[in-house]
Parts: sequence; structure tokens; C-alpha cells
Amino acid sequence: MSRKPIEIANVGAGLWKATGMWAWLLFRISGLILVFYLLAHIAIISTGQFDKFDSIMKSFDTPVLVLLDLALVVAVLYHALNGVRIILMDFGVGIKQHKAIFWAAMAVVVICFAVFAWVAFTFIATGKGVIS
Amino acid sequence: MKAEVVSTYRGGMWSWLFQRITAVLLIVCLAIHLVLTHFANIGELTTDNVAGRLAHAGFTAVDIILLAAGIFHALNGLRMVLMDYWFTSRSRAMGLSIVLWVVGLAAMGYGTWALWPWIS
Repeated sequence: MSRKPIEIANVGAGLWKATGMWAWLLFRISGLILVFYLLAHIAIISTGQFDKFDSIMKSFDTPVLVLLDLALVVAVLYHALNGVRIILMDFGVGIKQHKAIFWAAMAVVVICFAVFAWVAFTFIATGKGVIS
Repeated sequence: MKAEVVSTYRGGMWSWLFQRITAVLLIVCLAIHLVLTHFANIGELTTDNVAGRLAHAGFTAVDIILLAAGIFHALNGLRMVLMDYWFTSRSRAMGLSIVLWVVGLAAMGYGTWALWPWIS
């Protein structure tokens, strides 16, 4: 008995080619960055217990750190939107169109990033949030 | 012939399922978290300001969901990455899981302890 041809959504390890490969590699890199950030975030925010919180937050209040924050936003948005694409693939939705869906997800990343960049530069310029 | 679709996920059924559930939770709660912390004009990041925000039960609830879902999603994701490299055998993968559970529970405990004044 011959086996049915198996089609695998090109979203994981194993299919080392084209768009899916880069999507997978960047997903991994952004994921590892976010693991490191999350643990650091929990460790630092929890210092609210020891009266060190205010001085630590003050040291973060520089334009360079706001720009690093913006880089973090890129990692979060990329990971979130490519993650949505992977969940769609898991449901068998759009496997044949996975490249088009990848670029649609990237368009959403760019639009959301533009909003965050506007917020960040408003904050650098005025020291205030955009919603009062 | 209709092609059969298979997944390449090797971490086990529960690992896969909870990775998806926490992913959806994180997208929703992280959106709330980022909009409230970055978009709204909430003043300086000081203990008093953060304490004022956490006085709203909804804010605390979002933070607890983020803490639990974030730690699980992060460490399970790290496990998936590491299982592709050195932790390829069953026994190494098991050892890795135990270490990650200890790290995760410690992080959860530490974060919950910081939030405790608003939880209790």
C-alpha cells in the first residue's frame, strides 16, 4: 500500500527553504529575546517590594532606553503576528497561501509598529502619553 | 488525492495545546497591558503610580494572567528550541523539563509575591 503524500505547513523546522525558513528563524530569535526580557521584566518589576523601584525606573528614563523598548516592540509584534499565522496553519487554514499570509501578517506588524513609534516619539518629545 | 496535513510539533499534546491557549491569552492581555502602560498618560513610572493602577482589580487580573501565561509560554517555547539541539533524547528532555518547571514556579512565586498586596 502506498503512503499518501504528506503535506507539511512550512512553519517549523525541517523545511529549510524560502519564506517559511526565515519566518521560522526570526520567530525563534524573537522568542528567545522575549524569554530573556520576560524573566528580566519580572525580576525588575518585583523590586517594587524593596523600595528600589523608583531609582531603577529613573535610570531607564532615557531616549536610548525608549528606542530599545521600541526594538522590543518589533520582537513582540513579529512573534505575535507570525504566531497567529502558525495557529491558522495548525487549523489547516491557508496552508497553500502561507507566504501571502506571512506578508499580510508583516503588513499588520508595520502598521502596529508605526502606532508604537508615534507613541514613543511623542513620549521622547513631550514626556507624556498620547491618551490623556 | 487530498494531502494529509501533519504537524512537526514534537513537544507532546499538552505542551502543544497549552502553548496555543497561552498564545491567545497573551495576545489579548499583552495588547491591554501595552496600551495601558504606554499609550495612556499615566505619569511617571513610580511605585505610587503603579500601586494606583494595580488598585483596579481588572489591572491586577490582567497582570496575573500575563504572569502565568507568559512564564508558561516563554519556558515551554525555550524547551522546544533546546529540544532541537542538545536535549534530543528522552532523558535529557525530561531533565530539561524538570529544570524549567523549577525556574517557572520560582518566577511565578516571585511575581505573585510582588503582586500579593493587591491579590490579598
